[in-house]
Amino acid sequence: MTAVERIEADTAQRPAREGPGLRRILPWFLTGLITLLCVVPFLLVIAISFGRKIEGAAWTWDFTLANYQRFFVGALWPDDVTFLYLQQLGFSFWYAVIASLLAVLTALPFTLLLTRLSRRAQAAWLVFILSSLSLSEVFIVMGWDILLSNNSGLPALFKSTGLTLWLKDVGWFQTLRDWGLASPRNVKFKTSQFATILTMSYLVWPYAVILLYPALSRLDRSQSEAARTMGAGGWTVARTVILPAIRLPLFGSTLLLFVFLLGTYVAVTVFAAPAQHTTAVAIYTNIRGANLNAPFGATQAVILLISAGLCLGLGHRLNKWAEAR
Amino acid sequence: MSGLVLKGISKSFGGTRAVDRVNLTFAEGQLTALLGPSGCGKTTLLRMIAGLEAPSSGSLMLGGRDITGLPAHKRKFGMVFQSFALFPHLSVRDNVAYSLHISGASRTEAAETAKRLLDLVQLSAFGDRRIGELSGGQRQRVAIARALAQEPEVFLLDEPMSALDAKLREEMQVELRLLQQRLGITTIVVTHDQREAMTMADSIVVMSNGVVEQVGSPQDIYHRPDNAFVADFIGKANFYDGVTVPGGIRIGATRLAASPHFVNGSPVRVAIRPERACLDDEPGENRLKAKVTFVRDLGPIREYHLETVLGPMVVEYALGEGGKSFVIGDETEVRLPPEALHVFPDPQAAVAAE
Repeated sequence: MTAVERIEADTAQRPAREGPGLRRILPWFLTGLITLLCVVPFLLVIAISFGRKIEGAAWTWDFTLANYQRFFVGALWPDDVTFLYLQQLGFSFWYAVIASLLAVLTALPFTLLLTRLSRRAQAAWLVFILSSLSLSEVFIVMGWDILLSNNSGLPALFKSTGLTLWLKDVGWFQTLRDWGLASPRNVKFKTSQFATILTMSYLVWPYAVILLYPALSRLDRSQSEAARTMGAGGWTVARTVILPAIRLPLFGSTLLLFVFLLGTYVAVTVFAAPAQHTTAVAIYTNIRGANLNAPFGATQAVILLISAGLCLGLGHRLNKWAEAR
Repeated sequence: MSGLVLKGISKSFGGTRAVDRVNLTFAEGQLTALLGPSGCGKTTLLRMIAGLEAPSSGSLMLGGRDITGLPAHKRKFGMVFQSFALFPHLSVRDNVAYSLHISGASRTEAAETAKRLLDLVQLSAFGDRRIGELSGGQRQRVAIARALAQEPEVFLLDEPMSALDAKLREEMQVELRLLQQRLGITTIVVTHDQREAMTMADSIVVMSNGVVEQVGSPQDIYHRPDNAFVADFIGKANFYDGVTVPGGIRIGATRLAASPHFVNGSPVRVAIRPERACLDDEPGENRLKAKVTFVRDLGPIREYHLETVLGPMVVEYALGEGGKSFVIGDETEVRLPPEALHVFPDPQAAVAAE
């Protein structure tokens, strides 16, 4: 009998260790639980998005595309066309794109410097940044609300220190007015896109640092030094060595923060003008707010989800294309 | 360019002095090896030459021009790093042409230079490959070609062979030396491998604890070491502690004929290379009784480990060098020719005596 035959014979004779016990059931149970907790709510939202609002009451199950039609061209189409909801989606994208880019672009040099500190200093900074993640969105927005409020925040400081007068003297005040960041008397940050984007960016900044940190700490410093010995100055090193080396984590971090920021609610409601509110705010207003139109809220949620998915897909494609180049 | 000159170069990191008042002249077109154990300051010195570290004091002169404050990207010194530091997002050709691309050279010029350099390092067929697709030896050649692309005034290599296996390392040492001789570039190589330094260098700078211990040709360094550290670090040697007496040295109760240039009674360290001690019948001074305790046959070399009145001693015979053959337990005599004895002051013993 060869060794292989002997092993096969042994295997055949050995009694099965496990019956159809807990070990076999557990994977099925976990799969079922994940399906129930993750997939079913999604399916419910999709199903409700085809539902129908009953005037003066709640809503009923149905299969109508009226909600989708309303989102894209308005409820009165074809007699009248309105792009209000597309505009809200546009604001969602605008805020999320700019805030995520701002967060990543400011976190990048900070994280790069962080990786050059001593191990001890790095650990202290990381603990501090991680602990800032425990602050809720409401808490952070409240802080920024006070900081940017017209009566007690930066505008009051500008006025009391004479900075407002100085801005008027040098002519920059009018520029701020043109940008919607000043009233006739003083600077004004609420409500403004500036305050909205700044707060949203602040919200995700610690995430940006933590997402970029592993890639930047793995950067081979000798590559930058090699570039320097070959005649590359600081900006050339960043452009030709550091950025290509961290292209993927940089792109991934921006995309992740962008998708995360698409759903920002509190910062938008506090800092953005009502005409510049986002789809996330509209979803809440429809589902839990005054409108009580869950099917339309669900439709907006589905479209937001699909848009985010399309962005991820597009990002992936772009990345592949860049890699191929 | 007429050589690179370091004047009183020092570098401190906090309270630690990594390089201490180094004065060196690197002759034009020569290959100099900075040799020393780990942590002796040789890489820090090379990084200061490259402009990657600023000296705490001292100055660097290139062709009579002070370049101490000149940033790395304006020095035009090609450097090969220990890890090669190749750019993984670029092809082999683009790595080689990197310095030309960033300096604004035309695409045609960059491509032609890259082709010429890849031919030089025998990698012309690998231009389109990614760095990840190359072996260690090929990567090293790409790193060399890349550093040469900007036609550097000084070529620096930081332990360039350390990532290679032993056989490839030997081959590359010869290749690198031939390439350097062909191009005639002033070259400085950092290494902790004395064999590597002896193979490649016109001149060796032995360093220890941030200071230069000796500068000289490989033969000088080996045959005429300035101190016990150099004798110990370069090659092998048998060491014994003793004191000087008229016309010789006393080690324990044994007196050896030698010509030490020290005041009588000075504590000294005596070194003798294993290949300079003789197991023969020739008459002469310094014959000691010895017992063979171990024999090691390494092919080209046979080592006899002896127990002598001075202590353990290793004697080496090259293949075909003649000499008697011994086995473990044989009683014989070892002869230590006075001219083969290197006598150094023993600072440790002097400190202990004080």
